[in-house]
Amino acid sequence: MPALSTQLLVIGGGATGLGIAWDACLRGIKVVLVEQSDVGQGTSGRYHGLLHSGGRYVLSDPPSATDCARENEILRRLAPTTIEDTGGLFVAAPADPADFPDRWVAACQQTGVAAEEVNLAAVLQREPLLNPSLARAFQVGDASLDSFDLLHLLCTSIRAQGGQVWLRHKVHRLLMQAGAVVGAEVVNLASGESTHVGAHLVVNAAGPWAKTVAALAGVDLPIALGRGAMVAMASRLVNTVVNRCKPPSDGDILVPVGTVSVLGTTDEHVESPDDLTIAAWEVDLLLAEAEVLVPGIAAHRALRAWSGIRPLYRPAPAAGAETRALPRAHTILDHGVTHGIPGLVSVIGGKLTTFRLMAEQVMQVVTPRLGVAAPCRTADTPLEPTGRPYHRLPHRLGHLEHPHDPPAPQVICECELVTRPDLEAALAAIEAPDLDDLRRDLRLGMGPCQAAFCGYRAAGITLRTLDAPPLDGGLAAFLQERWRGLRPLAWGHTLRQLEFSRRIAAELLGLTDAPEAP
Amino acid sequence: MNDLVVVGEGLTGLFAAWLAAKRGARTTLIAYGRGGLELSSGCLHLASGASPRLGITSSRLPHPYALVGVGTVLRAIQALLDLLEASSLPYSGSLDTNMLLPTAAGETIAAAFAPHSLARSDLAEQGTMTIAALTGFRDFDAALASRRLAVRLERSIATLDLPLPGPAPRRDLYATDLARRFEDPQWREETCRAWKPQLIGVRKLGLPAVLGLRHHARVMQAIEEALELTAFEIPTLPPCVPGLRLETVLREACLAAGVDVLEGAKAVGRVDGRGSSARACGVVAMTAGGPQLYDAGAVLLATGDLLHGGLVAQQNGLIRESVFDLPVVHNPDRATWTSPHAADPQPYASFGVRVDASMHPLDDRGEPLLPNLYAAGGLLAGARRTDEGSRQGVALSTAWRAVEAAIP
Repeated sequence: MPALSTQLLVIGGGATGLGIAWDACLRGIKVVLVEQSDVGQGTSGRYHGLLHSGGRYVLSDPPSATDCARENEILRRLAPTTIEDTGGLFVAAPADPADFPDRWVAACQQTGVAAEEVNLAAVLQREPLLNPSLARAFQVGDASLDSFDLLHLLCTSIRAQGGQVWLRHKVHRLLMQAGAVVGAEVVNLASGESTHVGAHLVVNAAGPWAKTVAALAGVDLPIALGRGAMVAMASRLVNTVVNRCKPPSDGDILVPVGTVSVLGTTDEHVESPDDLTIAAWEVDLLLAEAEVLVPGIAAHRALRAWSGIRPLYRPAPAAGAETRALPRAHTILDHGVTHGIPGLVSVIGGKLTTFRLMAEQVMQVVTPRLGVAAPCRTADTPLEPTGRPYHRLPHRLGHLEHPHDPPAPQVICECELVTRPDLEAALAAIEAPDLDDLRRDLRLGMGPCQAAFCGYRAAGITLRTLDAPPLDGGLAAFLQERWRGLRPLAWGHTLRQLEFSRRIAAELLGLTDAPEAP
Repeated sequence: MNDLVVVGEGLTGLFAAWLAAKRGARTTLIAYGRGGLELSSGCLHLASGASPRLGITSSRLPHPYALVGVGTVLRAIQALLDLLEASSLPYSGSLDTNMLLPTAAGETIAAAFAPHSLARSDLAEQGTMTIAALTGFRDFDAALASRRLAVRLERSIATLDLPLPGPAPRRDLYATDLARRFEDPQWREETCRAWKPQLIGVRKLGLPAVLGLRHHARVMQAIEEALELTAFEIPTLPPCVPGLRLETVLREACLAAGVDVLEGAKAVGRVDGRGSSARACGVVAMTAGGPQLYDAGAVLLATGDLLHGGLVAQQNGLIRESVFDLPVVHNPDRATWTSPHAADPQPYASFGVRVDASMHPLDDRGEPLLPNLYAAGGLLAGARRTDEGSRQGVALSTAWRAVEAAIP
């Protein structure tokens, strides 16, 4: 079995793990990060796109609010290409508790979250679809953040610093020596080949899967999983992030991300990190709550629904089943101290906005163990620019209308304007890619037609470009993944879209499980 | 005053309007959008499985096949085949055996009848074949079409990329763009000259289905003569040209038979409640020039399924019929409408309007709602046309039966 050794092994390729690996790289630490799937396949990629101002937590979790406010500013400097400065609003609807806004403003001042009451007429002029009978409105520093772009940026930066990121590698077991964790046996899921990675320290940043990883060292981590559903509306109904100014609950945010508006979220306790189902009531609830912010929103077309799993640290005894009541702030466990198993540190919980701070705090635990004295540099080291500006459709349209090198390239995905050269470049850049990776990289198939046309075209390009592609270029799996996100919204236009895709797939392409003639 | 107003111009509506006009009825066809034929491979799918006849005769109520019977299916198909033959778009096939035709994704589809250009690809025939893509045309990929097929058939299938002569187009071409180009003799000859050196030794060549639209037969013949080989077509992504050829023939047949065609107008049903029993008295067509009354002795709804707007599914679990607000057989629990897997049969596919053997929509007690109102095609309950491979069979046979009943 091939073997290698490193100072730090990070398990998990979400914002937390990548943030830790990036922090370690900047301190000159040798690091290997393993991710069982692709970057952003877990909680970080399944979020609503909101870069918090902190306003959401000023009353429920004041320290988190302060952290958010500070990290929000830092992230805007470090990764400006991933953030759209939409600004944010906290609005009180007529039926919301009338005394809440004043308490909230006072808490904003105490926690250092900038919030300013704004004139309602001006707000409605800026956001004409908002409910005209709102009671009050406050402006905050929210923004929308493309987490796929941020994670890719982290990946690129880590690799440029000499760190290693291994995608589609799963930890099979942790290597133990004299009761201490000294590395892991890691399986390449594409080839089935195992590698022994010896490490001075292993960080478990596996998010919802952290419990499974810790169990490999015999540690029972008390983690509760809360599943949140989100719905993307097919158009950009607001240009500003809109939050309800009331105690946090289901369906109280509306986030403009790229071409869509995201409604979030619900909170359901689940047992498995892979339980990503979405119930009809969750969608109904999100739309009903959004109706308060944007009257008539249910008449707009819903594009897609998805859910993400929040891992939350819940030390026994459990206080209650509702996961939202648990603190959002993260927990760092040095298992040498907590369980007598040196060599393993787990980090649980947290939010995307504060991923950098979490990483810094984890490294404060890690560095003494590694005997490294170098200070944290993530707060003032911009992530390597990839040369890709914040994704906007008009930008791609401009490229097509005024190509540098005529004729204009073939457009493979019309909704998101993904071209053949874009796809070919992405295929060359990723190891063992599938169509879903291309989606995360390029937004392929994320528009209104949900891959009804581009899936087939892209599968053909995959077939021609890759060494060992699946026989259908990954088409059936990609269409199934799109189906999954449309299904919870299957009525009206979305059901028509669903049936349209299915008709093309089944009746023109023959992709069906129905019995066929001999 | 019309004898019959047909609403919808998919396969069902066009076929019904043509049949009615041929029977001497004054017929108006009202359509809001274009029917579903650009989503159609052009084949007549009656039932998957080895024998379409067996699929039809073994159907049980509430399937429309069980209402109309295999004899009606046969008569309807024969009427269409005769029209197609007379319109230079000959089809081949039989009610007893399905052909197995290759798709653009390397899968296969069963078809009872298919236009000659597709029927020639029947995989029951042995022999070598070559599949070619056209450079720059996105909606057909030779590698995707051949690799899986080669594994399934255990024979090797060669693939080619054939160039499209002339300056690069200013935008990506759709199948319909290419079909029109192939109808230009000069361009076609130039294309064949450019292809010829690449086709030495090729005897059977599969191409994307873009070989002409209205003059398909002529284009096909010219290409085969110029290239000295047998050509066949494989359906592309929509717009799917073989379906549009079928639409063109039917549309022209309607106009030739005297059908008055009104397009771009949504129809709202009108019911005359005076007297002892209510009757449908026509529709209001919402035209660009305002609402227009269309009186009719009978109304036939061929508005299609959930995709085409004959049925509208609401968030609250209600499914409504869009012209007369007829009762729709469906499960009111929205969560049950779809299956987790896209390729599995879908419960929503069988939702629709329940009819009797004369295609009268029925009320909840199973009684005809109005004596002169009829429904046919995708609007009907009880068929899962995609999964059964029965789409055209259901459309044609129920249209036939409805016209028979409406225009005795």
